[in-house]
Amino acid sequence: MTASVTLRPAEPSHARRNAGFIAAAALVIWAVLTVEADWTELAEVPGGIARLFFRLFLENGVDWTYLPTAAEAMLDSIWIAWVGTIIGAVISLPIGFFGARNVSSGLISNVVRQVLNAIRAFPELVLVIVIFIPIAGLGAVAGALAVGLHSVGTLGKLTAEVVEGIDPGPVEATRAAGGRALQVQRWGVLPQVLPEIIAFWLYRFEINIRAAAILGVVGAGGIGTVVQETIVYRRYDKAGMAILVVIVATILIDAVSGWVRRRIIEGAEARTDAGDVEGLGSPLRMDSDIG
Amino acid sequence: MTSAASVPPAHARPAKPPRSYLPLLGLAAFVVVTWLSVGEEFGIGLDPGLLVENLGRGTGIWAEFLEPNWSFLPETFGPLLETFQMAVIAAAVGCGIALPVSFLASRVSTPNVATYLADRGLLSIVRAIPDLLYALIFVAAVGIGPLAGILALVFFNIGVVAKLLSETIDGVDTGPLEATRAAGANRIQTQRWAVLPQVLPNYVAYSLYTFELNIRASTVIGLVGAGGLGVLLNTQRAFFRYDNLAVIIVELFVLVFAIEFFSIWLRRRLV
Repeated sequence: MTASVTLRPAEPSHARRNAGFIAAAALVIWAVLTVEADWTELAEVPGGIARLFFRLFLENGVDWTYLPTAAEAMLDSIWIAWVGTIIGAVISLPIGFFGARNVSSGLISNVVRQVLNAIRAFPELVLVIVIFIPIAGLGAVAGALAVGLHSVGTLGKLTAEVVEGIDPGPVEATRAAGGRALQVQRWGVLPQVLPEIIAFWLYRFEINIRAAAILGVVGAGGIGTVVQETIVYRRYDKAGMAILVVIVATILIDAVSGWVRRRIIEGAEARTDAGDVEGLGSPLRMDSDIG
Repeated sequence: MTSAASVPPAHARPAKPPRSYLPLLGLAAFVVVTWLSVGEEFGIGLDPGLLVENLGRGTGIWAEFLEPNWSFLPETFGPLLETFQMAVIAAAVGCGIALPVSFLASRVSTPNVATYLADRGLLSIVRAIPDLLYALIFVAAVGIGPLAGILALVFFNIGVVAKLLSETIDGVDTGPLEATRAAGANRIQTQRWAVLPQVLPNYVAYSLYTFELNIRASTVIGLVGAGGLGVLLNTQRAFFRYDNLAVIIVELFVLVFAIEFFSIWLRRRLV
């Protein structure tokens, strides 16, 4: 050891980080300057929002007589999310197995993954316009099918990832005990992954509630139609009621579904290191390629 | 303890755990709800037979989809650029606001229970409103155009980032917190030097992720007039110009994939 000054390690270079930061800042500034939004209107935004809030909830209060209509429409949205999630779950389970490298072959899993990526690229609203309204016509069925297809994309990818993360021990054991290919999946793989996958299904249901609440904007059923029409026709007290129904129903379902999810995962805690509980709440696991 | 050899084989197998009726109960509830949901009377009236029968109805429209009108392409560049700009601005503003909001939504950084619960409650309301509903609300408040779209995306982003980041803050290593406090730091200094460095890489990753989400979302919020590619999508849909719609959809597809690849590449470099 030499003088005490050298004891401190040299600071790592921040050049790259700073360059990234500057690039991001430049991009934002460029966007602000070039976008065709009238920024002078920005001053009127708080007033506009306050006025709308006043009209929606305060001017005449929300219209409680509209509650049954709004609740019924929200129930339709919940059904759309429910049916869509089931469609997604049923189809994505086998697909997920084919998408897992350790279970199917490298080529098949690659093809399956790409197809799933392609499905995920389209929002439910685009799917419903392009594919399902032509088949099923306007209405909740088209909405449920679109939600289902999009869910296949996200759930299939997650299932594949979970299957890839299994402990190979039970698989070997099942094979050693004479299990055939399908039996190996059923007894060696499925019990390991099912709790986590069911928790993902529930989480997807929570997301699908939000998707189903807006599908009505293009005529695919649910409360979206109600909210849009009441706002467009300036029936603000009714719109306020409908928005309130969306918020309350969504929060309630989140709470129930979250409780069930935690219950399922805690039951499975003995198997995993429980690190998944954190990741479960995050849409990051649902929609992106992190990890 | 008896030796293994002396135990009769019949006892070698451990006793089965007691049977729980909870899964059965859950299954019964599932069947009832599903039966209600597909039924005609209460639910959506899903008839698979009818659906298969009507499968052919779409073919005429899909045939038009398969012949994209590429001469429409130049008209889409403006709205496409707008979608991109909206996504950039909203991600920057939304993630910026979400940073302090997330610190207030975690018990690690906000010991005051009232503040913490109030912030959490507000956040769950923000998260309960879907992106398109925000767009409807802001179009009604500030008029049609990209400004309403940006505002809608900002709120949507605050909900996403604040949830992810507050959970990350919940899970930080408390060692550095103690060390900073022991060194005499006040509350804000503790957050700055003990918490922020731990969660910063995640924060950057979440911000990139919301940018990706925005690209996708900003195409749909235009359906209610909030700017971007969705406005075009809506007008072409209204005129049944499926050949033009096909162009928009191909473009959307390419854009989403390009952004996703870029984002994954960037995140790999970050970690």
